[in-house]
Amino acid sequence: MYDVRLWLSKRGRLKFVSHLDMFRMMQRAVRRAEIPLWYTEGFNPHPYISFLLALSLGVEGEKEPVDLRIVGEMTPEEIKERLNAVFPEGLRAEAVTLPEHKPAEIAFADYFAVLEKSEITAQELRGALESGALETEKSGKSGGRKVVKTVNVSEHIKAFEITEDDTHIYLNVTLPAGSTFNLNPLQLLDAVSRYLGRPVSAESAVRKRLLRADLSEFR
Amino acid sequence: MDKKLEKLLPLVQKPARYIGGELNSVVKDKNAVDVRYAFCFPDSYEIGMSHLGMKILYAVANAREDTWCERVFAPWPDMEDVMRQNGIPLYALESGDPIKDFDILGFTLQYELCFTNVLNMLDLAGLPLRAADRKGLSPIVMGGGPCVCNAEPIAPFFDLFSIGEGEELNSEIIDLYKKHKALGSDKETFLREAAQIPGVYVPSLYDISYNGDGTVAAITPKDGAPATVTKRIVKDLDAVPYPDTFVVPFIDVVHDRVTHEIFRGCIRGCRFCQACFLNRPIREKKPETINEQCKTLCKNTGYDEISLCSLSSSDYTRIEDLLSLLLDWTPEQKINVALPSLRVDNFSEALLNKLKSVRRSGLTFAPEAGTQRMRDVINKNVTEEEMIETANIAFAGGYSAVKLYFMLGLPTETDEDVEGIGLLAKKVVDAYYTNPDKPKGRGVTVSVSCASFVPKPFTPFQWEPQATAEALGHKQQYLKEHLPSKKISVSFHDIKVSALEAVFARGDRRLADVLELAWKRGCKFDGWGEFFKYDVWMECFDEIGLSPAFYANRARSYDEILPWDHLNYGIPKSYLIKESEKARRAETTQNCREKCAGCGANRLLGGKCDV
Repeated sequence: MYDVRLWLSKRGRLKFVSHLDMFRMMQRAVRRAEIPLWYTEGFNPHPYISFLLALSLGVEGEKEPVDLRIVGEMTPEEIKERLNAVFPEGLRAEAVTLPEHKPAEIAFADYFAVLEKSEITAQELRGALESGALETEKSGKSGGRKVVKTVNVSEHIKAFEITEDDTHIYLNVTLPAGSTFNLNPLQLLDAVSRYLGRPVSAESAVRKRLLRADLSEFR
Repeated sequence: MDKKLEKLLPLVQKPARYIGGELNSVVKDKNAVDVRYAFCFPDSYEIGMSHLGMKILYAVANAREDTWCERVFAPWPDMEDVMRQNGIPLYALESGDPIKDFDILGFTLQYELCFTNVLNMLDLAGLPLRAADRKGLSPIVMGGGPCVCNAEPIAPFFDLFSIGEGEELNSEIIDLYKKHKALGSDKETFLREAAQIPGVYVPSLYDISYNGDGTVAAITPKDGAPATVTKRIVKDLDAVPYPDTFVVPFIDVVHDRVTHEIFRGCIRGCRFCQACFLNRPIREKKPETINEQCKTLCKNTGYDEISLCSLSSSDYTRIEDLLSLLLDWTPEQKINVALPSLRVDNFSEALLNKLKSVRRSGLTFAPEAGTQRMRDVINKNVTEEEMIETANIAFAGGYSAVKLYFMLGLPTETDEDVEGIGLLAKKVVDAYYTNPDKPKGRGVTVSVSCASFVPKPFTPFQWEPQATAEALGHKQQYLKEHLPSKKISVSFHDIKVSALEAVFARGDRRLADVLELAWKRGCKFDGWGEFFKYDVWMECFDEIGLSPAFYANRARSYDEILPWDHLNYGIPKSYLIKESEKARRAETTQNCREKCAGCGANRLLGGKCDV
């Protein structure tokens, strides 16, 4: 029995498939691929599959980690090939490795978003990101009740970089990720929309990789 | 994926309903096929993707090299708003192409309350609603499924209906269409020839005239259309193609598992049950065929559950053989086998033990009526003793929750029959507490669910009036007031929904105007409580000048011409009259295996039934 870490890319239309649905899809994929997974021993046994960090609906992923517990001898390379043979289009196992870091070490994520110049200029975006006054609303739970909290976004932007061409603006941004606090680029753009007083949306947004607290790559 | 759509999908709930690209969905080169076929399910993605018939016909059509069959569902109202605001026409999931440009649109009509959704989908596609207003050969709009046994209320919107089972018939229709497309024929020429295919009903080739009292005076075929259209059946279920793979949805749908049909038809002959009379004669599939096909399906989908489906699973003659074959390999692969639609009178301990080795869920039985007299009237041949005996087997086997299904408003029903529902449920409660082998430390819950009886075409009750809303309201109240135990919970179907269902089930072609007006006034998803607009419907009946009570609550005489009399589902009217008379005398009819009652369906097989 050993654990492997699968690095998934989730592209195109699959960005509209939710975290919960991804889990079910993965359960079926490992069955089709006939990967010998370890099953939990409870009343209702299920295979051990763990998505380390949820990816928001609408955001694509390039290297999303999923842990699988394997019984038997199958090698990481074979697991990768078998999964890629049965995945739907848009989902790919980019690599299968042995886990190096603990899931709790995930602290940040690098995102890349494409914006249309018809909606916002590079100066406006830079001004907003440097304003210190970005806010968005997040729904959460407090004492079992649903509450909507206003969150200051500016203090959470770890780093960003803006480039542009004739039609588009390209934003690379590092935002907090992990089990305690998450901010995704769609929420960031929501905060920018509130700041500017008009809607700004992303043509596409992708999570490039996960980082540890010291900004080294999570592996 | 379309850029415009990609930008809009974040605005709607469950966007994965609208993206296509699911595992095993079929993508072909559109330039390499002759016929583009849209299989349209007029309800939500989650309902439509649960439907076995669609999976079968999708596989059959896509097995043809010359045809590309795609799926289309009714967009949820939030998505419909987004589509209309942004000028996105209804598209097929596989290609994303507008279905307006397809060759054939095939709607499956599973329940009457989806009719407004059909109209809405045609409109969203950008097509005129009425067949007469759609000039040109394509798209041909066709319908199938149980509701086409009386498709009259929706007939003016369709070019043709396929009556009975579609595995072979659909291909014959596609062949003929392909020929006429190559010839450049007009729609009328195609339809006149299509009407000659056994099982094809072309409504525009039948003139309907009415008497002064609103009943049908005559149904007159023209242009060589047959006087009677007889339904098609597949003779050998082992030989007919069954899909070796299912499209596996991204999102959770209602039935998200391998479903396998073990037989068609039913030996029972319950007099209220349209499914029984529409699907005779009985034809079984071999356990070996089913087992192999289940293996393949599990392998190709990754599902971990198999559901064996039919109208009455325990009537499958080789059920124990089949379970043995399946249980040979499924536990090792951690696959569950579920067996819905069991009857109370032949649910054996051996069967229960086999089922116990797979995951246990609740137990559901359908006594349908509370007293023996009432059950005799409807020919539901189960006795109270059998029920209690079965409940005891189940309780000893560890079950402590039982669901019981009943109907209210059955012909000849009295308050005593209604009270009998509560009394029967109480006996199940008592059986639990007196059972020495019941699960330790748990109480029993008996949930009673009551539907309102809706008389349906091609059943012995097709002449019966539906109980009025007032009468049904009284019955529900009476039952609630006469529940003998707190362990029994009771729930009811919405009376107004059943009333509308009754109107359309036995309606005639004039109702098309009501349907169209109700759609214009915003009626859609009528089967969904949150969208059902009863008052709007009543306004529409009023404005068109038709009475819902005429269709729902009127007793017909045996010699009245019924709107569906030109269709033949294999069982002659004379047999239905005989059964109707027996019901009035509370006489039962034995099931097909005990004694052939001579329903006539065997003629469809050319002689002998497969009992």
